Amino acid sequence: MTTLNVRASAHRKIIGAVFAVPALALFGLFAVYPMVRVFYISLFDYDLTSPPHWVGFANYGFLWHSEQFHQSLEATGFYLLFTYVPAVLLALLLALGLDTKLPGSGFIRLLYFAPVAMSWVAISVIWRLLFQPDGLLNQVLGTHTPWLTSAKSAEWALVIASVWKETGLFLILFLAGLSRIPRELREAASLDGAGAFRSFRYITLPLLKPMTAVVCVMAVIRGCQSFSPQVVLTGGSFKTQVVNLYVYKTAFENARMGRASAVAVLLFFALLMVTMLQLRLFRSGER
Amino acid sequence: MTDVLKRPPVAVSSATPVRRRRRRVNVRAVVLYGLLLPGGLLFASVFVYAVLSALKPADEVLSTHWWPSRFVWSNFTLPFTTVPFARYYLNSVVVGVAVTLLNVVTCTLAAYSFSKFSYRGRTLLYLIVLATMMIPLEVIYVPLYALVFKLHWVNSFAGLIVPAGTSAFGILLMRQSINGLPDEVLDAARLDGAGEMRILWRIVAPMMTAPMSALALVVFMTTWDSHLWPLLVGSDDGHKTLPVGLAAMQADNAGATGIPMLVAAAVMAVLPTLLLFCFLQKRFVEGITMSAGIQ
Amino acid sequence: MKKLSAVLALCVVGVAMTACGSGSSGSGDKVHLTFWTHTHPPMIALNKKLIAEYEKAHPNVTIDYQQIPNTDFNTKMLTSLSNGSGPDVINMDDVALRGDYIPKRLLAPMDSAAQTAAEGRYLPNTLDGAKGPDGKVYGLPTEFNATAFAINKAAFKKAGLDPADPPKTWDDVAADGKKLIAAGQGGFNFLYLSAGQYTQQLQILLNETGGRIVSDDGKKATIDQPLGVQALELWNTLVNKDKLGDPHTASHDATAPFADFEAGKTSMTVMYPWGVGQIAQDNPKTYKNMEVVPLPQVDPSKPNGRWYGYYMAVNKASKHQAEAWKFIDYVTSQNQRWLTDVNFIQPVKDWSSSPAAAKVPFLKVWEQAYQQGRFDEVAPHWAEVQDAIKTAIESTVLDGKPAGSTLKQAADTINQSLSE
Repeated sequence: MTTLNVRASAHRKIIGAVFAVPALALFGLFAVYPMVRVFYISLFDYDLTSPPHWVGFANYGFLWHSEQFHQSLEATGFYLLFTYVPAVLLALLLALGLDTKLPGSGFIRLLYFAPVAMSWVAISVIWRLLFQPDGLLNQVLGTHTPWLTSAKSAEWALVIASVWKETGLFLILFLAGLSRIPRELREAASLDGAGAFRSFRYITLPLLKPMTAVVCVMAVIRGCQSFSPQVVLTGGSFKTQVVNLYVYKTAFENARMGRASAVAVLLFFALLMVTMLQLRLFRSGER
Repeated sequence: MTDVLKRPPVAVSSATPVRRRRRRVNVRAVVLYGLLLPGGLLFASVFVYAVLSALKPADEVLSTHWWPSRFVWSNFTLPFTTVPFARYYLNSVVVGVAVTLLNVVTCTLAAYSFSKFSYRGRTLLYLIVLATMMIPLEVIYVPLYALVFKLHWVNSFAGLIVPAGTSAFGILLMRQSINGLPDEVLDAARLDGAGEMRILWRIVAPMMTAPMSALALVVFMTTWDSHLWPLLVGSDDGHKTLPVGLAAMQADNAGATGIPMLVAAAVMAVLPTLLLFCFLQKRFVEGITMSAGIQ
Repeated sequence: MKKLSAVLALCVVGVAMTACGSGSSGSGDKVHLTFWTHTHPPMIALNKKLIAEYEKAHPNVTIDYQQIPNTDFNTKMLTSLSNGSGPDVINMDDVALRGDYIPKRLLAPMDSAAQTAAEGRYLPNTLDGAKGPDGKVYGLPTEFNATAFAINKAAFKKAGLDPADPPKTWDDVAADGKKLIAAGQGGFNFLYLSAGQYTQQLQILLNETGGRIVSDDGKKATIDQPLGVQALELWNTLVNKDKLGDPHTASHDATAPFADFEAGKTSMTVMYPWGVGQIAQDNPKTYKNMEVVPLPQVDPSKPNGRWYGYYMAVNKASKHQAEAWKFIDYVTSQNQRWLTDVNFIQPVKDWSSSPAAAKVPFLKVWEQAYQQGRFDEVAPHWAEVQDAIKTAIESTVLDGKPAGSTLKQAADTINQSLSE
């Protein structure tokens, strides 16, 4: 009996490992291999069209002193903080309100989701109109702010447009997470006389934790890797040149692939650390 | 206060649940229709503005008026006659559906493997997978392009689809969800003699429809919107996807005349994602019942 | 069953891998050329016609023609050149050619006999846009532009100005502009688009003040010298002191450079030959009211303009270089059709006395503009220089910082870029 069990469990391990093979094969070839190349190239001076030239850690040394790089870090920090904290909180509140079968709730969910489906390239035309000094946003606010063409306001304009665009994405994830919490459990809590807030605090939130972890990890990564809204709305002007836009420009406009790779590597380690920390925090709370 | 005191204790226990439920429903309804509906309309107004702009005559599109002076429906047909828009659309659908299916399959399998089986190197592999999320895509495109070129996949659907066939985000999402599945359920099924594939198909998958739907939606959307990679590996007319086609259209119509047509094309490009959302969203609020969870 | 499904998942990947792989080019004396240009619809139409004709005359040659939007052109080009692939025939602007592609030895030069013949065929100095420091020519022009100015005649009349007496200096532009604004008409503005376009416009003013972005040996930034500062101050004065246009409400849509002129938000704008065709197509009403006049000058006694061109060149990695040059010869030999179909001027000798040129609107002005002009400056890592210039112009014109300090900062950035 025991030998059978052991064999069965060994057999199971193999099958379990095989399940991961398709994904791992794709990752190995199309993500890990190019990623290792990027690590390697970050030690070279490489303009993409001539043979790479070994420079050791010179690219990293350059970044240490580069004002442009430091500014891009600031821009990214600002964007991450002021876009993704409100977007995630808003998404959570919306999800709690929209997790219902009341008539019309599907339609309302669609309203919040619609921005997610629009591409930045196309919607930028509309946002540029809304942000005009005589545009709708200023009319509503009674101001005359040159939203996209001033160092005082451009980063806020990006925050406004991005919260609008990103909230729906996290909303979907939270709704998916909520649907995995048995309704009976939450209703039972209410029946026990637990108030709405207490039921949220002690039942919903802990059970939502795995999905909250996904959302937070994703928010940080998206925030740090964002560059589409910056490209289409400001082109990186007025303190909005975020790290990833700096990477893109350095790589393809300035043809300094080595330096761009070095930034990517730094960004990689920063994100990896933050993500590990997040996952650990969320896990420790589970127990 | 006095009411409560007057009421006989027996009645309290029987009446309260019904009342509470009704009150909760009312609060929900007030929040939903009074707060979330206006908020949603505010969110969607930008989209409505886009639709209206797409119907404007060219010389009005840069004005800040909402309503077009006349409706130019031809803005919506123009993309089909000036560029092979239908072909771009078809290409995008093929790529989007293929990538989405591949992702749902590979991510669910890998997540199940990482979550419910213990074998050597599992944690390390999972970490490596997660790590691939941290590198900005644009910089890996250069070595990736060289690889795809060697495979003769430039200007082919394989080049557009296969490299995007799995995602670290998807594995993270699915693993977090599968983690919450009690091992007892799986063990019970094993005792009943169910094979691993059968357990995955009959027990895990049905309980994971909500995260799988969310994954499908996110992957489809990302693929549908991706611009740079398709430009690198599919820039001939036979393989151009919508974003590549739209960008070319935008550049082609160097002038205000092109903007309503561009926005119209973009509005049409939104439809598949919205349809997919409508189709999948029921899964997001269905909720699993206790009885289905623990048998 | 269980293994089957796992294998199945793998197969999905495998099938997609093999089924979709496309074969590479054919063999034998069949020649397959790839040809990339930026996008500009009239040009695309003519290119397609010429390709069809060429393929008919040379049945062994097939040409795969792709258009890539300007914003992505560099990315696509660099990525494909990075592994020795890329198109056989490239159509590219002179700044990219002289700044990047020729010094990095990515292009195949014309052979010396062909170069001598070409130099006899084109106006003096117009091939310099594709000439390397080795004196070799690396491309032939499909499009050659010189700067002029456009005014809206109807707006001028409404402001009591005589369209037959257009502004000759920037001071005139300021004076006329103020009258136009007072009469409720649009004034004048520059364009606030990409880093490249910012730099090009400043270059127009620099050519007139005599300022330079970098020193002649390409080693040091000179944009913060008095003549450079004068150029940016000229820009800033016209816009912010004379208030001829609001830079915050100007169109920032890089794909619509003439949107404001077409919409009447400005009545004066810098103009290029291709822009005339663009406006004629986009907005016939504006086109009817438009008059093209010589570019206003800082010093009218020493007029200066800006030249830029697009050239067809051959990828050094191409396996069919001779065939590629033959194709280029055919395309560039059709200069009459480039004039009639696309409004592109190819600077062959006597182009202006050809029958096709007779129909070119405002021919006299263009003829004059082709008399004097200079190509834009280039230096290694020019994109970084352009970015620094863009930041300086935006800080001064849009954020109100003094030109001297913003250009000083730009010079520091440029010096760092040049010193590496």
